[in-house]
Amino acid sequence: MYLSVNWLKDWLKLPKDLTAEKLAHDLTMSTVEVEEVIDQAASLAGVLVGKIKEIAPHPDADRLQVCQVDLGSRVDQIVCGGSNLSKGMLVAVATVGSKVKWHGEGELVTLEKVKIRGIESHGMIAAASEIGLNNLFPAKSDKEILDLTDLSLKVGADLSQALQLNDFIIDIDNKSINHRPDLWGQYGLAREVAAIYRLTLADYQVAPLKEADEMKLKVSVKDKDKCFRYLGLVIKNVKVEPSPLWLKNRLQAVGLRPINNIVDVTNYIMYELGQPMHAFDARMIEGPEIQVVSAKKGEKFITLDGTKRRLNENCLMIADSKKYVAVAGIMGGQNSEISSDTETVILESANFLASNIRRSSGFLALRSESSARFEKSLDPVLAELAIRKAAELILSLNDEAYVASRLQDINYNPFKEINLEVPETLINSRFGVEIPTKEIKDILTRLQFQVEYKNQTFFIKVPTFRATKDISIPEDIVEEVARIYGYDNIKSSLPAVFLQAPHTDVAHQVLKDLKFWMSLFQGYSEAYTYPFTNLPWVEKLHLSLNDHVKVKNTISLDQAYLNLSLLPNLLAKAEENFRFFDNIKIFEIDRTFDKKHKSVYHTDPSKKKYLPLQDKHFAGLEVSVDTGQATFLRIKGLWESLADYFGIKLSFEKNENVFSSLVYDIKTQDVTLGQFGLLKNDLFNSGPSKVQVAWWSVNFSVLVKYINQNMIYTPLPKFPSMQRDLAIVVAEDILWEDLMKEIIKISPLLVNLEPFDVFTGHGVPEGKKSIAFHLEFRSTDKTLESADVELIMKQILAVLNKKFDSQLR
Amino acid sequence: MEVKLQNLKNTILKELAEIKDSQLLADLKNKYLGRKGELNEILKALKDLSDLEKPRIGKLANEIKQELAEVFAQAESAFNPNKQTNFNFDASLPGTKKEIGHLNPSTIVQYEIEEAFLAMGFAVYDGPQLESDYYNFTALNIPADHPARDTQDTFWLEGDNLLRTHTSNLQVRMLEKYGAPFRGIFPGRVFRYESTDASHDHTFYQLEGLMVDKNINIGNLIATMRTLLSSVFKREVDVRLRPGFFPFVEPAFEMDIKCLVCGGQGCSVCKQSGWVELMPCGMVHPKVLEAGGLDPKVYSGFAFGLGLTRMAMMKYRIDDIRLLQSGDLRFLKQF
Repeated sequence: MYLSVNWLKDWLKLPKDLTAEKLAHDLTMSTVEVEEVIDQAASLAGVLVGKIKEIAPHPDADRLQVCQVDLGSRVDQIVCGGSNLSKGMLVAVATVGSKVKWHGEGELVTLEKVKIRGIESHGMIAAASEIGLNNLFPAKSDKEILDLTDLSLKVGADLSQALQLNDFIIDIDNKSINHRPDLWGQYGLAREVAAIYRLTLADYQVAPLKEADEMKLKVSVKDKDKCFRYLGLVIKNVKVEPSPLWLKNRLQAVGLRPINNIVDVTNYIMYELGQPMHAFDARMIEGPEIQVVSAKKGEKFITLDGTKRRLNENCLMIADSKKYVAVAGIMGGQNSEISSDTETVILESANFLASNIRRSSGFLALRSESSARFEKSLDPVLAELAIRKAAELILSLNDEAYVASRLQDINYNPFKEINLEVPETLINSRFGVEIPTKEIKDILTRLQFQVEYKNQTFFIKVPTFRATKDISIPEDIVEEVARIYGYDNIKSSLPAVFLQAPHTDVAHQVLKDLKFWMSLFQGYSEAYTYPFTNLPWVEKLHLSLNDHVKVKNTISLDQAYLNLSLLPNLLAKAEENFRFFDNIKIFEIDRTFDKKHKSVYHTDPSKKKYLPLQDKHFAGLEVSVDTGQATFLRIKGLWESLADYFGIKLSFEKNENVFSSLVYDIKTQDVTLGQFGLLKNDLFNSGPSKVQVAWWSVNFSVLVKYINQNMIYTPLPKFPSMQRDLAIVVAEDILWEDLMKEIIKISPLLVNLEPFDVFTGHGVPEGKKSIAFHLEFRSTDKTLESADVELIMKQILAVLNKKFDSQLR
Repeated sequence: MEVKLQNLKNTILKELAEIKDSQLLADLKNKYLGRKGELNEILKALKDLSDLEKPRIGKLANEIKQELAEVFAQAESAFNPNKQTNFNFDASLPGTKKEIGHLNPSTIVQYEIEEAFLAMGFAVYDGPQLESDYYNFTALNIPADHPARDTQDTFWLEGDNLLRTHTSNLQVRMLEKYGAPFRGIFPGRVFRYESTDASHDHTFYQLEGLMVDKNINIGNLIATMRTLLSSVFKREVDVRLRPGFFPFVEPAFEMDIKCLVCGGQGCSVCKQSGWVELMPCGMVHPKVLEAGGLDPKVYSGFAFGLGLTRMAMMKYRIDDIRLLQSGDLRFLKQF
């Protein structure tokens, strides 16, 4: 939304020393967010009105011409490629040092004196788009330069002066006025400026309307829940032609393209009052009769922009007795638009249910200046003001035109008068500082609230233009006072609070600890991936899509389903990284989404429904050029040391799945927390290299519950231990796990058992392997003698020999 | 006995002189000075001596024992395998580094900021990312068809749920669960259905803060944020409020921070204004307090939403937001 400072001056006497920058700053601090200030004259600095005196062909370029251009005080030579150059033509000359956009695109460029194919050229003869005037002067082709001949301007004058383009434009961020329907027009902004600077705001003047009975316009609203007000008026004898310069300039200032003196008036009113309007060519309206009705699903309608649109039952339509002529509040129809031979127009000024405009324009994928305003919930009072002002303007631009009907007004305004009782203490306690009563009253009065003060309470009547949704509770009044009083005037002080026991979130603490442990100790890097799963990997991992939560409103397969597991994305990331790294260690901890199970989170306070399970998962993988055994054992080791570090008793139980050559369940107290394993080799795309991918995926939310938070120390041993090593030869398929189970059964004195060497080959018979391991013995009540240990060692050898047919090496 | 002791001493010294390695030295020490060694054997006979001789011989025995201990200590030190003096490698080679992993920069920044809040008594809370319409919108005074929903384009999910568009979804959940007084932050991942480019991603991180108590006012919000931000940025910062609009706070503010690059003088970072937009905030809307089961006549509070992703980008001058979610090790290994 653009604010024109010149336009403001219609109703305000601005202080002489008020610069546009200061105004922009003060608006930002009290009302809206300003993006930038545009100085029209500055952007046209150095652009002069010139008259072409002579034209000669360029000796070395077919499409260029060499012009002698009269600039009043001098004559400059300029090389130009414009297709419409002629002798005596008035043109816009961007002199050396001025800024232009080459061919209307890209950044601004400062002009220098140059030689073009050997001929000196002082600046350029500009096309409208090159100096930002393409709205005012649309070009028929991009070769065309701006022709000012018809405007009979003074040769040598600054173009900005000659065209009266001396405005300052304040660009306001639309997001910051979403909640302020009253600020979508210049007059509403003038009201704010008046309040900020304590200026007198002139009333909005409208000339009396001379109604007539020559034509009868019938208006009916069939759907009063969606249309709160509809005003219609017929004006005859208009002559459609370009608008005068002052009107074009105002439209130029707010970024609109002038079209003709009818459409421009409706746009002008929209930007002045914030009230969108529409003008129909009365020839195309049967009756003339206007009906406001809801469309039927599946019906089609061609809007002004020439697009055929499919409607639904929410779309509110403007119709005559036979057909639709506009989508209410969004866009007019092609079948009834103003054309150059229009003589009779029907003006529309209406008010529609904001939410329905929003919903319909969303459904139609059609956002317009009009819908942007209606969906903010406009004040129905504005509609009448707007149509009266529009009639006045159209008549003033068309000498022959006259009002040919009565002003039809169907009014179902649902907005009630809002009266608020605001205790003075509420305002002061929210501020934390006392504002004088008089000051509060003054601020509210400046904002056009009606205020009475009794018993330390303000009794406030909200003006209609703020009463459609913006102001409804006492806290809204606090904001009004605060922003005008100035947030800078608030004294800041730290809150005084009672000490409370801190809330501790063990899971959060463990998660942080785990992340640092993974990166600092385990050498893993933390990847963040999207919440949307990777479908190719979902397929490779044989995860069921039925268990995944589906995204409803996306079309891209990359965003179709939420992660059920973190692995698909991590595997995809690993493949991407493999181009640059042959050893990859990444992990991620975040929520996954499980459609088939419920979480503890209720959907609303009734607690009847619960959201899908969304536990945090902890997954990771290592891609390595090492052997499968080494890679696998590193992941297993990671889980063993994690168990040690976090004080959690884990056991690993062999399992299987379709995508892994080896899988173990990670369990604690009979609860399965997750798995780790070795990916089947052919699933991972590593180009010509042979790699191993070991992975894990664990439910962190469950894991964290089993972490020992009460670790206590074990007293140091009182007696020394005895160590022995043993090497045996057994059949190759015997597992260490099985040997271990037998050995530890033999004696309670065995406190530690650890393999340190496994090998086959040289010195070991075919089909056999050698396993060497450390044994440590200790008693809690005496120092062991060698004889004690030798006895146990003999038993161990005997048992191993019996059960596994082992031989001592 | 005296002679025995002297002989033993001489034998030991003689044998010691011929010792060539540490193992033999240890054996020798064990043989003579060990618990069952020869010296102890001789000393066992001390108890049989007359009371007259006991003190003298005892003293002598101790002296010899001590002398021998010293000699052995000397010999041991001579044979110490760690006593390497030759130094023949290239110390100018690069040091041997242990490979460490890397946290996502967003994680690093999140934990840094959490520290500052924890010190001010704000605890960290967590909640769902897959959220209901109620907690993400309705409970926050954003009913269906509210235009504010436009600025937060939403990923809608089957079952009428959605991916939360902001961490504000936890405001009402936490008030329902913990009541007042409440002081907490909710860092986490949020989602907007929009197309991505170098400065927009559909997935990013926020850190929401909420404080509710009796008599909380706008001045408290300013002072708390100034203190917290000074701690986050590790220097004194200045902040200012200006009007903003968010349906779940009233009044609503945009909080600007005085430009840390130019100190408010005006530079390219702050677009010559001296201030940089930092975060939306405001006083908790009475409807939000009510939704959380609190009486807005008794309690008031403030809420704010810090852009964690933006903070990380500012800190490390990351110019493409998508890198944060890329999992690209060339990027991650820098942190």
